[in-house]
Amino acid sequence: MYKGLLVDKSIIGKDVHLEENCTTCHKGDAKGPTRDVAHKGLVARPSKNIEVCEKCHEDISKSFKNSLHFTSEGQRHGVTGRFSKDELKVFNEKVFEKSCRSCHSSCGDCHVKAPVIGGVSTGLLKGHRFVKKDEGKTCALCHGGRVYPEFTGDYGGAADIHYQKGMICVDCHKKEELHGISAASYVSRKEVKERPRCTNCHKPGEEKTESARSAHTSHNGKVSCYACHSGGAYRNCYDCHLGKGSTAKPGFILGLNPRDKKTVTTLRVIPTVRNTFKPAGIEMEHFDKLPNYWDTAPHNIRKRTERTRSCELCHNAKKNFLTKDMLLKDGSKANEGLIYTPKPIKK
Amino acid sequence: MKKIRMNLLFLMLCILLLPFASSARDVAPIVDTAWVEKNLNNPKVVVVDIRKVEDYKAGHIPNAVNALYGSWAIMKGGMRNELPAADDLFDVIGSAGIGSDSIVVVVGKTDAVPDRTDITRVAWTLKYAGIQNVALLDGGYNKWVTDKKAVSTDAVRPKGKSYEAKVNEGLFAKKDHVMKSIGNAVIVDVREPDFYKGVKKLDFVAKAGHIAKAVNLPTSQMYKQDGTYKDKAELMNIAAAAVGNDPAKEIITYCDTGKVCTAWSFMMTELGGYKDVKVYDGSTEEWTKDPQAPFEQ
Repeated sequence: MYKGLLVDKSIIGKDVHLEENCTTCHKGDAKGPTRDVAHKGLVARPSKNIEVCEKCHEDISKSFKNSLHFTSEGQRHGVTGRFSKDELKVFNEKVFEKSCRSCHSSCGDCHVKAPVIGGVSTGLLKGHRFVKKDEGKTCALCHGGRVYPEFTGDYGGAADIHYQKGMICVDCHKKEELHGISAASYVSRKEVKERPRCTNCHKPGEEKTESARSAHTSHNGKVSCYACHSGGAYRNCYDCHLGKGSTAKPGFILGLNPRDKKTVTTLRVIPTVRNTFKPAGIEMEHFDKLPNYWDTAPHNIRKRTERTRSCELCHNAKKNFLTKDMLLKDGSKANEGLIYTPKPIKK
Repeated sequence: MKKIRMNLLFLMLCILLLPFASSARDVAPIVDTAWVEKNLNNPKVVVVDIRKVEDYKAGHIPNAVNALYGSWAIMKGGMRNELPAADDLFDVIGSAGIGSDSIVVVVGKTDAVPDRTDITRVAWTLKYAGIQNVALLDGGYNKWVTDKKAVSTDAVRPKGKSYEAKVNEGLFAKKDHVMKSIGNAVIVDVREPDFYKGVKKLDFVAKAGHIAKAVNLPTSQMYKQDGTYKDKAELMNIAAAAVGNDPAKEIITYCDTGKVCTAWSFMMTELGGYKDVKVYDGSTEEWTKDPQAPFEQ
């Protein structure tokens, strides 16, 4: 039997949660004489119903109900702008509830048992102990397509300098961010004021070398930190079709941030294409309103990169900058607005 | 009989050379868990745990610092297990609290041969970066656990040091050098026999087979079943049977990415007293992409 699903008997009674009977959360009939009878009405993931946790963890549960981890609103927000009103209705009914919402996380997915990914679970985090955090078995699974392997260096290149120095997800992404910001609902992680910023720790003006200080000053407000400090290729996803998924390949793209159209930053190809939702009967009337490249924070930060080592790479060779020739075929018309051509350095 | 006499002669030679081989060292090249336990609070000793951050946080040797394998060997230009830039490497060493006079014990997991050779690749890189006293914990963290030694979950934040040194370029060979050395140096393929013979190959290696005139010295022959090393005499007998007994002869080891071959390189240099052992970092990953590079089955 796969041991990942076995409850460690020695912890029963030691963890405050396990002072209760199994049936308090999982229902079923503890006195049932057969497996079938005992499992009748069994609830495999009790915390899908937040009220189970809310009885004791009232504040966290209230804000978690509105968190992006629970609502998956971020996924809806990312594509809503491409739909007409009628299309949005169809999307909500046929796609969002059936597809996107199926992978929202519950309390237990982070604190008791690893989340189910593609129908597979690695099992209990620690024999059914309730753990505060175990990023390698929780965050790493849901965010294992791009963020986590980029962070640990498993995607190629070098590991993120923060990981190399022993930091893991929750060292930057605080519980306030993960549990939801307030009782108010929100649709994008950009709305979370507690989300991490490089300058929270790396204060401008406190650089150890003059060259770093000078580089930061001259690029301030014009270039994001990632544009220079992302260590290399990160995962880009292409050609997603409802029900069939997308294909991924590594890449490194620089261009204007679609949110402000003035800051140069790292761009990641998002997989939505013109006919992504065609199987659901959605044509995306406003497909061209949003680009196919979005600003991204690659989690492969390095102190030194080829761009921090050489100004010429951007200002002369223009390496990795989005050009008209590179744009996706039949992509959004909004993509062209992200092209930026760096200027040569005045000597 | 002749072979036994040769081996005995080689053993005597090793013993005679031992004082020279170990003269620059303040620690044996391989240390056991008892030694590490005894030296946990020795300020000169830095135990470097190269496992992933998550594994380290779940439990590690008390006072061990974490500097994961990916800090020491990176993917560069499409090639696996390459050296980081010297300034990046010095940062890793300095921020682990290692100084030029430190005694560094490298610890990793030893589940399989690729894990075990993570450890020697780091040790070889430390030598490249100018650290003289580099040792391996025999059996790695697995042995520490099976020996029921104390385990800590308190992450150690080492006091960083500024580290800079002259790197030892002579520990690595480039493709051109390997090409010129065919027929002169002993070129050692440390992969398993099926890979050496061209029966199997890894996906990222373009062709099956081995570098022309290379001899085979499989890495798996180095270990006991529990992941610890065979004893010194046995290891050196195995090595000598493949590379000969001449400690001055140039030896170039290779594998598929330049990682696994550091195991025999480390043993031959640090235990056997071979003076000129180089690792061909590009290994078959690079070699087999070059149609001019002689390769045979």
